[in-house]
Amino acid sequence: MTPGWIIALIAAAGAGFGLALIAAPRSAWPLLGVFGALFACLSVRGWKPARFAIALALLLVVIPAAGVQNNFLFELVTQMGIFAAMALGLNIVVGMAGLLDLGYAAFFAVGAYTWAIFGSAQAAQFMSGDFPLAGWPYFYIFSALAVIAAALLGTLIGLPALRLRGDYLAIVTLGLGQVVRVLANNLDQPVNITNGPQGITPIERPPIGWLESLMGALGIDGGPALGYALFFYLLVLAVIGVVVLVNVRLDRSRFGRAWVAIREDEIAARAMGISPTRTKLQAFATGAAFSGVMGAIFSAKQLFVSPESFTLLQSITILAMVILGGMGSIRGAIIGAMAVTLLNIEVLKSFSDFLARLRQTGFVLDLGVVSFNFANLSDQVEPAKYERMIFGIILILMMIFRPSGLIPEARHRLEEGEQTEQMKATPAGKRRAP
Amino acid sequence: MMLEVQHLTKRFGGLVAVNDVSFGVEPGAIFSLIGPNGAGKTTLFNVLTGLYRPDAGEVLFKGRRLSHRLPEHIAARGVARTFQNIRLFGAMTVYENVLVGQHAHVRYNYLDAIFRTFRYYRAEKRARVRAHELLDYMELNDRAFELARNLPYGAQRRLEIARALALRPALLLLDEPAAGMNPKETDEIKRLIRRLRDDLQLTILLIEHHMKVVMEISDRVVVLDYGKKIAEGTPGDVRKAPAVIEAYLGKGALEGAA
Repeated sequence: MTPGWIIALIAAAGAGFGLALIAAPRSAWPLLGVFGALFACLSVRGWKPARFAIALALLLVVIPAAGVQNNFLFELVTQMGIFAAMALGLNIVVGMAGLLDLGYAAFFAVGAYTWAIFGSAQAAQFMSGDFPLAGWPYFYIFSALAVIAAALLGTLIGLPALRLRGDYLAIVTLGLGQVVRVLANNLDQPVNITNGPQGITPIERPPIGWLESLMGALGIDGGPALGYALFFYLLVLAVIGVVVLVNVRLDRSRFGRAWVAIREDEIAARAMGISPTRTKLQAFATGAAFSGVMGAIFSAKQLFVSPESFTLLQSITILAMVILGGMGSIRGAIIGAMAVTLLNIEVLKSFSDFLARLRQTGFVLDLGVVSFNFANLSDQVEPAKYERMIFGIILILMMIFRPSGLIPEARHRLEEGEQTEQMKATPAGKRRAP
Repeated sequence: MMLEVQHLTKRFGGLVAVNDVSFGVEPGAIFSLIGPNGAGKTTLFNVLTGLYRPDAGEVLFKGRRLSHRLPEHIAARGVARTFQNIRLFGAMTVYENVLVGQHAHVRYNYLDAIFRTFRYYRAEKRARVRAHELLDYMELNDRAFELARNLPYGAQRRLEIARALALRPALLLLDEPAAGMNPKETDEIKRLIRRLRDDLQLTILLIEHHMKVVMEISDRVVVLDYGKKIAEGTPGDVRKAPAVIEAYLGKGALEGAA
């Protein structure tokens, strides 16, 4: 099939599933179909504007239209977006620069606490002033500060990376990641900065009067809960757009090339005049920054942060997204994040519900030789509880059958037009001293 | 002098890999380092390019001290090298490998890259044009968008040289460029090295085991054995030096031949 046909097919599927989802916003199949269409937009090649248009239509029309009937959709996609930004950040460190970082959740924590402390009454515990900082500019200012704080911490954690490689680096970053969590857990004494294990709540959200009046004008009435669900959905979408743009642009610059060169062969990279120190710190800081901004958004969205949100499992989950999607691949990181989040909060849960229903109705599976009554199925058999095991199995299968991920890293070629223009500039055969 | 090596010594524990070696390379020369396996030639290269720190002695490049500097600084100063066992960036395209080689000359900062400023476009454009020129010069342009690891062996060797040239070096260190090549390819490499010197006014320091290549193109040759310099001179001089014959063929070879 030619790309045109494939894209027409995706558009048709997107439209079909999209309409089905708007008609039945609570059923799982149309939702999976819509995500399938989104995946397809990201994974096939060719006809970029068309794919872009389909994805935008799905994200800006279909999902909001279905989401106003079912908040959970916004929640799901917002969660995906937050993870996608983190996967993109970690992809720079692990995928592009080849530095295995197991403490990545620390940057998310720093971003989250940056807003949590000042966006709640918490800051009044250790400094004078009028807290929480309500009002519209504060949240955005502190989101920017969260980026800076995370990037600084990234540089700090990156410092040991300059002397360590491979497994040793992984262990040190794992330790430093835990240090951040333990600090958050214990910095309630002697000065109460983080409020310790109880966490911080309530955290201010930016005012969204403009969005509520817009919704009112469109005749949508869902109260502030729906308003904020839509707001965070749109905010995360916008931030993801910026993150992807920054990521792509860095990837196609001397910085991105230096990251990959360092990963491929550090000695050769040095012989080409690339400073590994600077390059690695840049990778750590950039990766951390992506996570930091989402941390701030996360804390405002949840209204609550506690050290429990930033565990090793969190770091591992993001790493699993990067590996599943394809190390070093930008589209891969996004798809990995979407797939893992979907699996986590949609597929496994649906499967659990399905089994529960079978159990309740006492469905009997009769295969002639053996028959099984689902009423006898143990309560322990609940896929949602087996998240880690299922991840493990998926990762093992991936390593066996597709070790470079769903969308393997493909070092970009020049755009077609550009390429031929360059070729014309120096016709083959006419060899002159460069 | 383009390059001056003064009493350079490098030890690994008890082993003296490079032992009090001195020589000078004139600008525009093709200067060869030869010697039996394990004589310390590659170690010397690694000291010159900053990968190893010398234990004693100095390296001067265009009169300025090069020893004790970081490899990336030395590279940016204009000393480029290739590796004995090819070290390309395998997962990058041929073209990107050459772009990486220009890293020190592609000047724009982080924000330029994010906002795609004029500076970014200007520098990238210049780098692209030059990358294609270099690939064309090394006859690799038709493979520009293949992954470096998929190139055949000979093309990988040429790409390594193209990448080194991207640094705009004044001094090019080639570590066994003809290793593993058939006689025809060896001949091409020989012509290429001459052409590099003549077209680009490069000074070339060469490690090579193919005596035919060394003897035909070198202006001057230094012979190392067990880390020590045992002879220096024109190819003709070196070929006749008794110490060299002894090092290559063993003690008594000279008497036997006589």
